[in-house]
Amino acid sequence: MNYLEIANSSFVFMVCGIVIAAVLIICCIFLVWAWRRGLELGISRETMLRTIKTSMTFSIAPSIPIVIALTAMVGVLGIPFPWLRLSIIGSFQYELMTAQIGATSMGISNLGGSGYTAQVFSNSMWIMSLGIIWGMLFSILFLKRFSSGLINAQKKDSTRIEIIITALYFGMLSVFVGPPVVSGGIQLYTLLVSALLMVLITQLTRRKESSSAGDYAFTLSMVGGMVFAALWANLI
Amino acid sequence: MKSTSHLSIHVIGRVACTAALLLIVMVPLSVCLKFDIFPPMKNFLGGFFQAVMIYLPISIAEFLTFVPILGSGAYLAFITGNLTNLKIPCATIAIENAQVKPATDEGEVIGILAVASSSIMTTLIIFIGMLLIIPLSPLLNHIYLRPAFDNVLPALFGALGAYFFMKQWKLAVSPLVCSILFAFIIINFTGIEFTSIQGALIPVLGLISVLAGLAFYKKGLITGDDIK
Repeated sequence: MNYLEIANSSFVFMVCGIVIAAVLIICCIFLVWAWRRGLELGISRETMLRTIKTSMTFSIAPSIPIVIALTAMVGVLGIPFPWLRLSIIGSFQYELMTAQIGATSMGISNLGGSGYTAQVFSNSMWIMSLGIIWGMLFSILFLKRFSSGLINAQKKDSTRIEIIITALYFGMLSVFVGPPVVSGGIQLYTLLVSALLMVLITQLTRRKESSSAGDYAFTLSMVGGMVFAALWANLI
Repeated sequence: MKSTSHLSIHVIGRVACTAALLLIVMVPLSVCLKFDIFPPMKNFLGGFFQAVMIYLPISIAEFLTFVPILGSGAYLAFITGNLTNLKIPCATIAIENAQVKPATDEGEVIGILAVASSSIMTTLIIFIGMLLIIPLSPLLNHIYLRPAFDNVLPALFGALGAYFFMKQWKLAVSPLVCSILFAFIIINFTGIEFTSIQGALIPVLGLISVLAGLAFYKKGLITGDDIK
């Protein structure tokens, strides 16, 4: 039996569908918990609804490259398994790299190429599934103590903790800013256009306490940058 | 009341992560049982340890970096993935818009709402993408549209960078300068593909950023007012 017949079988679709449905239920449980806890803490329904709406809107544009990654992966790994991996836990670069490790550890150099049998496919599935369980495992073992410690430290010296958290965030953010600045070209121009749009929208909405343009400033700037990239690449 | 609710999110989070882990293992296990295609243990272990050597150190650093930002929302973020390109930016924007602080009870609530809604939206979009993969594939890869999707990260981080640089430039300067310096050396002198080590650089720049921030704070160059 060709490995792609197994990879695209209704059985694999069903198993992957069950896992994705379970993760959606988990998301809803967290959502309900946070909503109730928010009400207990005196956060207004309006603020929480706005958070849900803006988070959903914001997530649309960055999700599209994931769909593109899916289109690139289905040729070698079938449709359902990449659908599962990209919907939960994984990311495009990680998934293809671990699938490749699964193939090479079975003595096959090309993912989906000659010699990539059903058994090699199953090895790729195992490595992809078990190779990146660490975030969840650490969460089960250490997250309670770690986050409780942070909340306690925040109560003692809030400025220090805020600096640490903000600095960590800036560290992550910077990793994605350096390469376009050095490489130049369309990546740099896109970065600059979305940055400029962000500055403009922030200045325009500054005086209003709460405005929908302010709430969607990140989404508008990001989409503006993407539109610019498409125009730049095709027209200039 | 407060501590009970705080405890319950950890119970929910631990149960959810355990369930997700079991479900994830169930997928290859059930496929192998159904089609009788178990790989030889020796080959599996060889590949598994290779993946562990690459991802375990990165995962430790990611855990230490992302939990302070997400708090208990990290349970869900680690289950649903796509942290740097989606969940972390989404949660920080939501926390910013709601005018609450991370590592507080309010910040955790807003962070969890953001991560959960973002995950639901992404799952739905990928589901639609999966259903319409044949008609969508040429459209998403169209010559006119592809540059837009190829440049999502510069567009996303340009907007985020500008906003936070305007707000807290003193904290942003050190990691930004180091990132540009690292990128210059890696791109021009090593021949390494920058994206292949991006994950490993996040904790490195995070550490540099924290050390610089704390040094500025100690010397009085950053005060509580600067990060409000």
